Amino acid sequence: MRELVELWRFREVLFNLVRRNLKVRYKNSVLGFFWSLLNPLMQIAVWWLVFKVILGNEQKDYTAELITGFLPWLFFSQCVLDSTACVTQEMALVKKAYFPRAILPLSALFSNLIHLGFAFLVAVILFIIWRVDVNVHYLLVIPGTLLVSVFAYGISTMVAAWSVFYSDVKFIVGNLLGLWFFLTPVLYPLNLVLQKRVEDADNLLKGMINWALPYIKSLYLLDPVAISMLGYRSGLLRGGQNPIIVPLDLGPAEQAASAAEKAHLIAQAEAQARATEAALRAQYPILHYVIGASLIALATAIVGHLIFRRLSRVFAERG
Amino acid sequence: MIEVRDLWKKYRRPHLKVTSLKEAVLAFLRGQTGYVEFWALEDITFAVSPGEAVGVIGPNGSGKSTLFALLARVLEPTRGSIKVEGRVCPLLELGTGFHPELCGRDNVYLNASLLGLSRDEVESRYQDIVGFAELPEVMDAPVKTYSSGMVVRLGFSVAVHMDPDVLLIDEVLSVGDEYFQHKSLDRLMQFKRAGKTIFVVSHDLNAVERLCERSFWIQAGRLVMDGPSPQVIQAYREAVDRQERGGGQASRCSR
Repeated sequence: MRELVELWRFREVLFNLVRRNLKVRYKNSVLGFFWSLLNPLMQIAVWWLVFKVILGNEQKDYTAELITGFLPWLFFSQCVLDSTACVTQEMALVKKAYFPRAILPLSALFSNLIHLGFAFLVAVILFIIWRVDVNVHYLLVIPGTLLVSVFAYGISTMVAAWSVFYSDVKFIVGNLLGLWFFLTPVLYPLNLVLQKRVEDADNLLKGMINWALPYIKSLYLLDPVAISMLGYRSGLLRGGQNPIIVPLDLGPAEQAASAAEKAHLIAQAEAQARATEAALRAQYPILHYVIGASLIALATAIVGHLIFRRLSRVFAERG
Repeated sequence: MIEVRDLWKKYRRPHLKVTSLKEAVLAFLRGQTGYVEFWALEDITFAVSPGEAVGVIGPNGSGKSTLFALLARVLEPTRGSIKVEGRVCPLLELGTGFHPELCGRDNVYLNASLLGLSRDEVESRYQDIVGFAELPEVMDAPVKTYSSGMVVRLGFSVAVHMDPDVLLIDEVLSVGDEYFQHKSLDRLMQFKRAGKTIFVVSHDLNAVERLCERSFWIQAGRLVMDGPSPQVIQAYREAVDRQERGGGQASRCSR
């Protein structure tokens, strides 16, 4: 409580630091602030080229899926990356002036929230151009953003505090984020993971993986970043529907000889997809996972904050 | 009003440079702690009333800046207590709070908020701050284009316009040109008359004597002498003389 009062008293510092971060990041670049939009757009363009054009991904609205998944990911990863330097960069201030140290990771968080806001606006404009229905379910991005922000605060504070003492943290974090990215459903559909099976578990290793698979899938769905992405997708693309969906497999229908047979095969594929979908939704009750991920995010934030608070007392001595 | 009682501050000085996990693990396996502990300040007790200006003198590494950092709440005491009434304002040396890429105006706002001022308060004082620093025509240029003297003037101006109850000045009196030095000294005198407390760390003993009626002599973490500036400064000078005659740096490394 006293901490919150103190933070409020120093809110101007936070405000000014965020303003400075935004101003300084693209200083001396011709396009300036547009880079915060161009960067994610370029990144998405690369994946679009690789997965849609070269590998010929057939998934419906794949580009829109990419964008909605990438927005929260970009926010999260950039927050964590920025936090590796957020204290060390300000050592001159830390050594001279008193202010609640939590302002430093918070300033990284808020700066990236603003970037996210702009990127989100661009996404919405694209969706309007693509005639994706803009509706009230878009509001789901608010709890989605809140969830990933709370989680990002927890990870950022830990990373920020440890970075003061060990420069290794920065490199470890960079590599872990690279792995983490593929452990979230940005590039591939969620059902691919949930439906994963180990074929003929005949040796010990495969048997062990087979045994662990359900737990791995649960963990996968408990990741606040993944849940946040699903929230974005559900809100922006699916009108608030359960994000666990199984797309139709139209492979057989395409090779059908006659129109009647084709219609029959499509109906069959649809029935099968709906059945699998219903089974998956029953097996992974999404609401439970949302609650679980929220608790994990909250716990991470508290632990991160406590670690940061304890270590921040000696920042000025050890930096 | 400042009351410092039985203040002790322990530092860890790394004797191995441990900045990576590998080194930390290796040092741990070898049973090395990686640092030596020593007392940067030992058993410091004093009280300072409003309107007093105190000079803090002593050789390099004696603990003067540590004392300031403790008063500014940047460090936490290992033992003992510090009671300060009112707003403490550390004069950020050479504008450390300044970001080179930002313009002067933004830096003033950032610096002032760090020192505890609200936006409205900064706004109402902005003209005075710029006026005192005498830099009205460059406030929209990035600070990296300023000369070092200009940066210091701006930093000093921000600090004295904070309306602090306690001002901490660490080794920044001798910056700026002759004219600005006089101006800032006048300003500090004005402060004293207004009943504010000023702490000055300086190796410029003449400046200390001019500004401060009271002085602390700190040596090897201990408050060796606390009294009227002329006496303390004289005693310190005599000690330095003795040291010079008796083999230079030897006693400095005795700790």
